Amino acid sequence: MITGMERLAAAINGQASDRIPVFCNMSDQGSRELGMSIEEYFSRGEYVAEAQLKMREKYGYDNLWSLFYVGKEAELLGCRKILFAKDGPPNVQDFVIKTYDDIHKLVVPENIAGHPAFQEELQCLRILKGEAGGKYPICAYVTASMTLPALLMGMEKWLELLLIGPVAVRDELLAKCSDFFRKEILAYREAGADILIYANAFGSTDFVPMRIFREVSVPWMEKDLNPGGTQGVVYYCGMARLTATIEEVFEKTGIGTYYLSPLDNIEQGKKIIAGRALCGGVINDIKLIDWSRDEIRNEVRRIIEAGMTGGRFLFGTGVMPYAIPEENIRTMLEAAYEFGRCKSQ
Amino acid sequence: MDPLQSIMKAYNEALFDTDRDGALKVVHEAVAAGVTPEDIVFKVVLPAMESMIKSISEDFDANLAQHFMTAQIATEVTEEMIPKFRAVPSVAGRVVIGTAQGDMHSLGKRIVIGCLKARMIEVTDLGVNVSPERFVDEAVACNAGVIAISAMMVHTARGENGCLRVRQLLKERGLDTRIKIVVGGAPYHFAHDLYKVVQADAWAEDGVTAGRVIEDLIRRVR
Ligand code: B12
Repeated sequence: MITGMERLAAAINGQASDRIPVFCNMSDQGSRELGMSIEEYFSRGEYVAEAQLKMREKYGYDNLWSLFYVGKEAELLGCRKILFAKDGPPNVQDFVIKTYDDIHKLVVPENIAGHPAFQEELQCLRILKGEAGGKYPICAYVTASMTLPALLMGMEKWLELLLIGPVAVRDELLAKCSDFFRKEILAYREAGADILIYANAFGSTDFVPMRIFREVSVPWMEKDLNPGGTQGVVYYCGMARLTATIEEVFEKTGIGTYYLSPLDNIEQGKKIIAGRALCGGVINDIKLIDWSRDEIRNEVRRIIEAGMTGGRFLFGTGVMPYAIPEENIRTMLEAAYEFGRCKSQ
Repeated sequence: MDPLQSIMKAYNEALFDTDRDGALKVVHEAVAAGVTPEDIVFKVVLPAMESMIKSISEDFDANLAQHFMTAQIATEVTEEMIPKFRAVPSVAGRVVIGTAQGDMHSLGKRIVIGCLKARMIEVTDLGVNVSPERFVDEAVACNAGVIAISAMMVHTARGENGCLRVRQLLKERGLDTRIKIVVGGAPYHFAHDLYKVVQADAWAEDGVTAGRVIEDLIRRVR
């Protein structure tokens, strides 16, 4: 049987496999799978690993996740309060940085792998590696230095600091976030993650003008990525559009995969990438909640037809909302397997 | 060129470049040159927002930084100018705003508030993680015609403690025709019909447009 890893390798190398890789990013849904509350589910690495393996098996898509929820990164940097919901992802409730003084005081842990807040994720990665290592790519989520402050102080205070605050304080914070990023990505690599989702909303010109993208976002991306390299790294702007920045990111960092926004034009994205990297065509999974069977199939078909020509393409989702009915998940995936079949085989 | 027009042009350019100091400089020089505080707000700040709304509707992609800066400068300038008005301006309407229960994302709300002030709309900020009961109680207490709810996640937009529950409470208390609901935030951005699903009266794609949409709603309840 062809594995997800083989499909991905074929796509990266521009070869045909049985079908294109299909990435389905489910996280909170794992709790439903194990019949427990979201809060209980995220308390143990064993639970997350078990549900990840179970869901992949049940639906047949190609990737696995070590991500619990993004707020975990804030926990590594001192956040003690997470707001759990019964029908959605956990959120940071208490910001680590409330004043500029907290930026001076922020300490990046030397040893992430040894940090208590990282142990359950490590446990999850260990199980995933043991059960599916080498067969299904294991994804980890790492927030870029330029976006991490949003998790530590909130988007509001971060945008204020970035746009009208003191540059020295901004750069002090970014330096700490970049230091954290490099340590975190290394920890994930050492724990066996194959794919590293580099999440950077501020790498999109939906968020900042081109001038700030060039003057601030790009240099910090280089600081994040150049020391450790871009093996397995995926450029992802939190579902914000990124076609306008692909060229520059590719040139400056060499990142090999671009995970588009559902609001991006896929043909245009493919054209800019021009066969130099892998391109992810992404469905608007917020609409997946209400779409009919036909609407889902048409949309999957549209995405795949737009992106599959010329190869080096995968089909993917965002962070799938908990509210999507199981039937719609199946409809989407079956359509992706059907329309994503490689004709040459 | 009409002097007001060239002031507006310079102000707009500064906004476009997300250049706060530049925009404030334009305003202060205009005041020094004799432009009245009323004209600064109603003939520079407000038309600048209107022209941004127009460009957006014609497919110009304003980025988040530009919305933030437009709101930020509008707030700063309006707050500085109002005390200098010859007469206390009349309130155009009242709004309460907050983020839905379970939602800690405050930025959208801040931008929307900034875009309402120059329209002489009085806004009460209820903060983040606001319960549906509080939205309604505070709207009644403030005599607000509009409840504005920001939600950045699907479960806080669609969930049972969000807009749907606010609607239900308004109905139960017979306030349905007197108070309108407007929503906004990422989920609405990705699903333009979602505001109907959650039974809101209106939504807005971005902060600057939100100012106009809310002003229109206020007119409808009056
Ligand atoms: C930046 C971002 C992040 C950052 C920062 C998060 C933070 N603390 O703020 C990071 C990378 C850390 C992050 C993490 C997460 N994120 Co996030 N994130 C985004 C992103 C890219 C932008 C959100 C944002 O802050 N925008 C700023 C606001 C102000 O901009 P805006 O929405 O355009 O607002 C305008 C309008 O909506 C309007 N408006 C706003 N409010 C109102 C109100 C009214 C009344 C009106 C009229 C108008 C209006 O005016 C605004 C100004 O123009 C969105 C995707 C997107 N492209 O929008 C996802 C998104 C919001 N995130 C999402 C998710 C799921 C998460 C996580 C929960 C993931 C996880 N499982 O852990 C975490 C939560 C982190 C936490 N808080 O604990 C999902 C939510 C959908 C869902 N599935 O429920 C989104 C939509 C991405 C997606 N499609 O999958 N995220």
